[in-house]
Amino acid sequence: MVWIAVGALVGGALYGLSGARLEAVSLLTQNSQLVLYLLMFLVGISVGLNREVFQKIRRYQLRVLVIPAGVVAGSLAGGAVCSLITGLSLQQGTAIASGLGWYSLSGVMLTELAGAHLGSITFLSNLLREILSFFSIPWVSRHLNFYTCIAPAGATSEDTTLPMMIRYTDEETVVLSVFNGVLCSALVPFLIRFCYRFL
Amino acid sequence: MDVILVMLAGVLVGAKFFPHRFKKQNETLQVICTALLIFSMGVMLGQRENFLEELKVIGWQSLLFALLPAAFSALLVYGMTRRWKRDAEKKEEG
Repeated sequence: MVWIAVGALVGGALYGLSGARLEAVSLLTQNSQLVLYLLMFLVGISVGLNREVFQKIRRYQLRVLVIPAGVVAGSLAGGAVCSLITGLSLQQGTAIASGLGWYSLSGVMLTELAGAHLGSITFLSNLLREILSFFSIPWVSRHLNFYTCIAPAGATSEDTTLPMMIRYTDEETVVLSVFNGVLCSALVPFLIRFCYRFL
Repeated sequence: MDVILVMLAGVLVGAKFFPHRFKKQNETLQVICTALLIFSMGVMLGQRENFLEELKVIGWQSLLFALLPAAFSALLVYGMTRRWKRDAEKKEEG
């Protein structure tokens, strides 16, 4: 799966750089949201096929909030350290990291709040985070634990990185992953504004 | 939100109507959809104006902002969840 993902990404970037315009590829890129819907439907079927998973999740109670809390706190801490290294302000650093991997929204928001330069860094860093988490999931699942696979994925753990979760973790982690993604996605706009205005 | 609703519809279909014998085909389709999504992402990146120049200028900062928040999140979550499986197993035994 990892090699398929690498091949698809590199192939896509090379196609984009080449300047070629094939009808089929344009159709695909314009309708990628539909492909995402189809993927989510299929992932839902996988989850639905395993009925025991919901009983397991119920046992966690308030502990389901532990993973999103760790994701947010870790991301903000990482952003703060990055700001020290790059010379950006604490507000800017934490605001960039507040994207939690949701590159489209965070890129646009930071462009509006702080200009194109910071917006571009936000877009690219959150895109890289999504790609990085995609490829780190197999390693993390083998060397750390299944739950930790959710952490680098951040807000993307409910959609794009979910197929990797399904492949390399278990159904229980997949449900926690969706819960984490929903919560993190809801928090992203607030976190960005809060960090940029008040920190 | 709409993505979640679509997924919930899938969960309902999976729990009530989907034949278990097509589980493998469902997984294969997921891989195909994922590859298509990543390919689209690559195309969109490659088609960005001045993509390579942009990558040179802001590339290292962006990489840092991708790596450290992801790594710190992973460390924190690992620290907080590494006993979970054992706790669950103990509960089941008890």
